[in-house]
Amino acid sequence: MKLVSKVKVKNRMGLHTRPATTIVKLLQGSKCDVTITHKKETINAKSILSILMLAAGQNSRITIMVDGEEDIATDTMDKLLSVFENKFGE
Amino acid sequence: MKVATKEIRLQGIPISRGIAIGKPLFFHTLEEYFEDNHDLKNNIPDFAIEKEGVAHEINRYRQAIACARDDIKRLQKKLEGEQILEGAAILDAQLQMMLDPLLTQEVEQEISSKKRNAESVFQEVIKIYQNKFNSIFDPFFRERFKDIQDISRRVMRYLLKSVRVSAADSPSGSIVFSQELTTSDIVESNKESIEAFVSHLGGATSHAAIVAKAKGIPYVTSIDLRAIEPYKGSQVIVDGRTGEIIINPTPETLKTYKSLRAQLRLQLNNLKKMEGLPAKTYDGYLMKLSANIESCHEVDVLHRYQGSGVGLFRSEQAFLSNSVFPLEEEQFQLYRNIVQKMNGLPIVIRTFDVGGDKLLGSHLIAEESNPYLGCRAIRFSLKEREIFKAQLSAILRASAFGDVSIMFPMVSGLPELLEAKEIIKEVRANLKERGIAFADHIPIGCMIEVPSAAIISDLLAKECDFLSIGTNDLTQYTLAVDRGNHFLSNLYAPTHPSVIRLIKLIVHEANQHGIPVAICGEIASDPRFTPLLLGLGVRELSVAARHLPVVKNAIRNTSIVDASRLALKVLSLSTASEVQELLEQEYRRNVPDDVFYNV
Repeated sequence: MKLVSKVKVKNRMGLHTRPATTIVKLLQGSKCDVTITHKKETINAKSILSILMLAAGQNSRITIMVDGEEDIATDTMDKLLSVFENKFGE
Repeated sequence: MKVATKEIRLQGIPISRGIAIGKPLFFHTLEEYFEDNHDLKNNIPDFAIEKEGVAHEINRYRQAIACARDDIKRLQKKLEGEQILEGAAILDAQLQMMLDPLLTQEVEQEISSKKRNAESVFQEVIKIYQNKFNSIFDPFFRERFKDIQDISRRVMRYLLKSVRVSAADSPSGSIVFSQELTTSDIVESNKESIEAFVSHLGGATSHAAIVAKAKGIPYVTSIDLRAIEPYKGSQVIVDGRTGEIIINPTPETLKTYKSLRAQLRLQLNNLKKMEGLPAKTYDGYLMKLSANIESCHEVDVLHRYQGSGVGLFRSEQAFLSNSVFPLEEEQFQLYRNIVQKMNGLPIVIRTFDVGGDKLLGSHLIAEESNPYLGCRAIRFSLKEREIFKAQLSAILRASAFGDVSIMFPMVSGLPELLEAKEIIKEVRANLKERGIAFADHIPIGCMIEVPSAAIISDLLAKECDFLSIGTNDLTQYTLAVDRGNHFLSNLYAPTHPSVIRLIKLIVHEANQHGIPVAICGEIASDPRFTPLLLGLGVRELSVAARHLPVVKNAIRNTSIVDASRLALKVLSLSTASEVQELLEQEYRRNVPDDVFYNV
């Protein structure tokens, strides 16, 4: 199933190296396909370079899409949303 | 990659003659992409691979990534141990980057679709990301590329290490393109697989160029590699005679060059017929045609072509890779071997010519801002007395086994010659005391390669037994042109009237004092210079052993009368290019079937 959520990047520095690392590590080994869309650009969320190249700064609005088996997809989306919510621990 | 179908011709500067037809092989340097990079000076190779080689390249790439990751993990542990957690977190990001599908699957796919080696594909991919990052408006995100740059260097280093793809193991039929070529690039290269060298930087008499000539590999420089970059896969012709590079030759061009190449091979074969003939002009003057050698086995070539002897043995060459100067005994063994191999023919041993760009025992040579004008050759020997004495002692001992002469390089004034002669006396006395045999008479000669020495050649001629003109350095010092500097390569011209006049002066003074004079610079081995040199009164030429047949051929196609007339005409000209033109024109007339020198 496909899950789609819109989030705002709250942390001060935006999706820089550390947040991007967190996202990628979180998705490591995940069987879901995960994409992030920012300003009409959609990238593979498992690619740290792609996340960095989005250059999504503070307050940018992004769309997360998770595609996979229901349980796993839901779990993955929850985790993602929570790291965004926690401002990646910053 | 766009593939042009049009024939493209680029004009460079010819360095080493010959004709090559082949496929381009690129060596890039990392600095071309990362301008601030100083630690990685390796050339990055770029070449096509066969379908069967794809798996191997991918495997090599995976291993490089794995090694780089291991490195980072080690560093990370270290930082954690030192409680530098911020740093450890950054390294964590680098570890993730090396797992990034863009740097793993994508690169692997590129390797198999483009069928090029891992280094070049990886580099191109990194370049794409560099451009993407550079286009990001926010400087904070733009800066993130630094980490990618960092890991890509690390990966590249491992890639280069895994197979040091060098000129030595290039695919056959390669034409090597590089920003700059080092001597070792060329030394390592395999004549069987490398057809030609093309570079952007590099002068005609740089050592890389000399080695290319020695190996008989065509070499053209001053070619802007960016102009060739888009045509990587296509066919290239290198004309080392004119300096022309032809990309994507039309079938007609290809046909012309293939037939030229065949003609050249035939010509080389025909030169072998020179083996049994004397170096005599067609009006009957016998010339001395000797060889310049660096090692023992070149003596065989000399014998094969019936050379008159060795006019220049570069004694330092055998020891250049030594970290310290060789002891007397080691030198004696080498000199004796060579002298014995001469079978009674004369050999001129030049004492160490170190300094400048040749750095044997560089620990003794203080850093100089201008080494070519610094403590080199005889200056070095006179300063490092013990080294000089050990060498002279070894040469004197070898003189007991044949016909040996001693020559001093880079003499610039009379006192140097006198002082060196004094030291020889001391060494003789010492050997006598030790009861060691040496020849009674050992001719002592001066190399004339500094303008001051040329101008006072009468004074030097009075004090020695022969002169030998080193035209490479003489040209460089007379014209004040660095012979390795590619911006000045059009200024470095042994045909410059000043150089010709100096040669004339030296020959005149030597004749006045009744001592022989030889020419041992590169012009001696260029057959287009042969009639001029004979006309100026030179009766001995000393050339690299492999050039003996071509120069002999030139001598046999010259008469002394014509040569003297030519010399007079040359002396009346006012520019280097006029002289060059006249010599070329004359050669075309005398030896019309030579496609190597006639264009």
